[in-house]
Amino acid sequence: MSILANRDTRAVIIGGVAGLNAAKRMAQFDFLINRPLTVEAFVYPPEEGQQKEIYRGGELNNVTVYASLTKALEENPQINTALIYIGASRAYQSAIEALDSKGIKLVTMITEGVPEKDAKRLRKHALEVGKTINGPSSIGIMSAGECRLGVIGGEFKNLKLCNLYRPGSFGVITKSGGLSNEAMWLCAQNGNGITSAVAIGGDSYPGTDFVTYLQMFENDPETKAVVIVGEVGGTLEEEAAEWYGAEKRRIKLIAAIGGTCQDVLPQGMKFGHAGAKEGKKGLGSARSKINALREAGALVPDTFGGLSKAIKQVYLELQATGVIQPEPELDEKLLPELPPSVQEIMKQGEVIVEPLIRTTISDDRGEEPRYVGYAASELCEKGYGIEDVIGLLWNKKLPTKEESEIIKRIIMISADHGPAVSGAFGSIIAACAGIDLPQAVSAGMTMIGPRFGGAVTNAGKYFKYGVKEYPNDIPGFLSWMKQNVGPVPGIGHRVKSVKNPDKRVKYLVEYVTTKTTLHTPCLDYALEVEKITTAKKDNLILNVDGTIGCILVDLDFPEYSLNGFFVLARTIGMIGHWIDQNNQNSRLIRLYDYLINYAVKEEREVPDKK
Amino acid sequence: MVFLPINIQIPNSMAKILEGPAMKLFNKWGIPVPNYVVIMDPNRLEQLGEANKWLRESKLVVKAHEAIGGRFKLGLVKLGLNLDEALKAAKEMIGREIGTSVVRQVIVAEMLDHDEEYYISIAGNRDGAEILLSNKGGVDIEEHWDTVKRLFIPLDETPSIEHITEVALEAGFIGEIAERVAKIISRLILCFDVEDAQSIEINPLVIRKSDMRFAALDAVMNVDWDARFRHADWDFKPVSEIGRPFTEAEQQIMDIDARIKGSVKLVEVPGGNIALLTAGGGASVFYSDAVVARGGSIANYAEYSGDPPDWAVEALTETICMLPDIKHIIVGGAIANFTDVKATFNGIINGFRESKSKGYLENVKIWVRRGGPNENQGLAAMKKLQEEGFDIHVYDRSMPMTDIVDLALNS
Repeated sequence: MSILANRDTRAVIIGGVAGLNAAKRMAQFDFLINRPLTVEAFVYPPEEGQQKEIYRGGELNNVTVYASLTKALEENPQINTALIYIGASRAYQSAIEALDSKGIKLVTMITEGVPEKDAKRLRKHALEVGKTINGPSSIGIMSAGECRLGVIGGEFKNLKLCNLYRPGSFGVITKSGGLSNEAMWLCAQNGNGITSAVAIGGDSYPGTDFVTYLQMFENDPETKAVVIVGEVGGTLEEEAAEWYGAEKRRIKLIAAIGGTCQDVLPQGMKFGHAGAKEGKKGLGSARSKINALREAGALVPDTFGGLSKAIKQVYLELQATGVIQPEPELDEKLLPELPPSVQEIMKQGEVIVEPLIRTTISDDRGEEPRYVGYAASELCEKGYGIEDVIGLLWNKKLPTKEESEIIKRIIMISADHGPAVSGAFGSIIAACAGIDLPQAVSAGMTMIGPRFGGAVTNAGKYFKYGVKEYPNDIPGFLSWMKQNVGPVPGIGHRVKSVKNPDKRVKYLVEYVTTKTTLHTPCLDYALEVEKITTAKKDNLILNVDGTIGCILVDLDFPEYSLNGFFVLARTIGMIGHWIDQNNQNSRLIRLYDYLINYAVKEEREVPDKK
Repeated sequence: MVFLPINIQIPNSMAKILEGPAMKLFNKWGIPVPNYVVIMDPNRLEQLGEANKWLRESKLVVKAHEAIGGRFKLGLVKLGLNLDEALKAAKEMIGREIGTSVVRQVIVAEMLDHDEEYYISIAGNRDGAEILLSNKGGVDIEEHWDTVKRLFIPLDETPSIEHITEVALEAGFIGEIAERVAKIISRLILCFDVEDAQSIEINPLVIRKSDMRFAALDAVMNVDWDARFRHADWDFKPVSEIGRPFTEAEQQIMDIDARIKGSVKLVEVPGGNIALLTAGGGASVFYSDAVVARGGSIANYAEYSGDPPDWAVEALTETICMLPDIKHIIVGGAIANFTDVKATFNGIINGFRESKSKGYLENVKIWVRRGGPNENQGLAAMKKLQEEGFDIHVYDRSMPMTDIVDLALNS
């Protein structure tokens, strides 16, 4: 047997993420004792209509979130208990609504920081409607083998250690949430465990007091003794003593009261409560509570540590008088284990999971990213630059100093080419339309292809092919290209020619061939090809895409990575254009009619639809 | 004045407020107060003097407007002054350092010449509130406690003015004074209720019979700080709750507390030699009790709870290790519901290591008892400190919670 919560308890949780976490913990208990899910609905307007995933062991349940308690109860009329997890400013209203709902008999409130006036009114209202409000600031209610409301009891392992899978003979009532767990453990360690444990919350005016719960335990035949843990302040413990001493009670009472240290603390530094205001009679002090309880016949050890012995003593007495029958020890191995997560089993090496993707370049699982094994901060410290990161992430190799200088120049030279080219223009149009940075840059990026900037990869690829297949036969290479590919990528320019050379090409070729020791078979080959093509036509020069492509092949970058250099370099320019347009607060642009040749049909009448 | 003890376990709910804001609230609800000004710059008083006749013509009282106990003895209350003297007193007080706190504001109020002093207080209880009333107010009220008449006000009910007047008559007030006192009480009830007060004590409420002028000369007001979400005009902060200014270490821990999920708390108790590094509001008090019950003396009160981040616990640990003359540190706690023992112990372990490297913890014994999520890993890590030369004794849940205090004191 139990009080307040049992196997028939069905709960709604009012509140957001804290409530969801509680529901998950509660489901672990449901799994342990093999009962149906306790939480059957959530009420949280911001997440109306969502389904929350709750595992009861390995079984996945979806619990609906409702916008209102009324709606939740309409669809789940079996719900008889409400748990309040909502913030202090709305907790009162929620609790009143719950108390006023027909099916709900018990409301328990975890919310902390509820104004005292609200708590007092809730208590009064609950008395008027004949229901129970537990809390505020309550960690929850536990009925061993029956029901868990809230996170009381802690982790799964502890539920077993405290024998909470089956009822014992001790009731527990505490103000402190942390000590409710401790008290349940003490009852399991020194006795046969609990029937129910209630945390009433440490606020000045709990919705329900010790006396009310003591009376419930007195009426529960399975509860033979009750442990209460009280604190200095207020007079709830004195009232409990008065109740206990008023007549012969069936239950044994054991108590611990915190706050005796206040007697010796320096003047002014008292752990007390406004309830002890008049001071002279000492009402509300820990000492007054202890004395009252002892006089009423309760067992009150002088420290909390003494509770162990007290519980053991009462347990042995109750066994000796036959009130508590010894029961066979349950083999804990028979109890279920929470199904572990895949990660946990993998750690133990007991399962193989085929990975979904594989990476060979970077790892961010440690304290900082590592690129092909090198810590990013160490690269920075040792003077490496962005070119080296490119070398690592694109080619898994650290470039030499010379190579880095070349890569740097390629990116610098390609970073921007003015607003008129397709990429920059695309970004500018997008920026003027008020599009945000990533999308505007993407708009420019979509322009990169066969006609704009996309020739680097193919130039590198085919010149490399030439070096390999037609090393000393450039005419042969050209005729193979004509037959199989078409115009040679990287050769030809719209405006530049032999007489009007491309300054960038000239610079790069000169830099690589005269300022570095790089072996450049591919570039040399392309320059030989250029000699032949320019002999045919003045503008069939090696253009900047071709030059870059060949140098990158000579730098040993994979051929399919080559366009990446253009993409990366141009991104810098496109971002610049987007910022520039935003700085100027540019207006939306549209083409002037005179820039469009309207080669359209004359105006005419729409025929009737056939 | 009757001393109001404080509650350290729910420290954020009961908030004592200074006289200035209390007077402002009284004014708002029509409870008579003397003329007063709160100033930070003494020169402002000169300007105010030019603008306000009462400052030039009345006797004045100057008080440090700070949460400093025993102000009278410290010379932080000066009575019966004229404006020049008040200015001088304000100049002397502002900037004075008392412990770790500095006087930054003074309140200058009119010292009303009066004929009689009364006592009125209201305090909440579970079922409503209770008014206490005496016509023998003033500093000797405790000696006249038998003259106090009481009026219980059930929750959400308002007593009629006739009913209050009856109680006033019972308390020995007569005629028009009884009626006027009843009126003040009915306003006090409104103020108490609407402002979410927990207690208000006016002592003395004075009367000058020549013009039947009343004024609350001194008042102590506690409000429910948890209710601040519904009081947009609460422009004050609650004052120190421990009867003295906070120490630097306490202030540091409070600053951390304000920034984190969960909480860390510290109150120093000078002269003790057993330091507490305990978890949870309930258990921490029981550890203090156990030390006292076994004849020891605590060097501090501390608690960490609600699964605080490890760095916050580390900071608390280092602060506690620096307490002077400690012989034992009690790392105690119940079986946690959801505070991660491994993570919080990690913070404590780092704090111990750091403190040791700075030369603290010499000849200090450390006693550990804890349970909760990841207890095995947390306790094992703590136990490993033995290998690093710490005098540390580690126990799991099978050790009764506060019995490590017995072990420490018997060692």
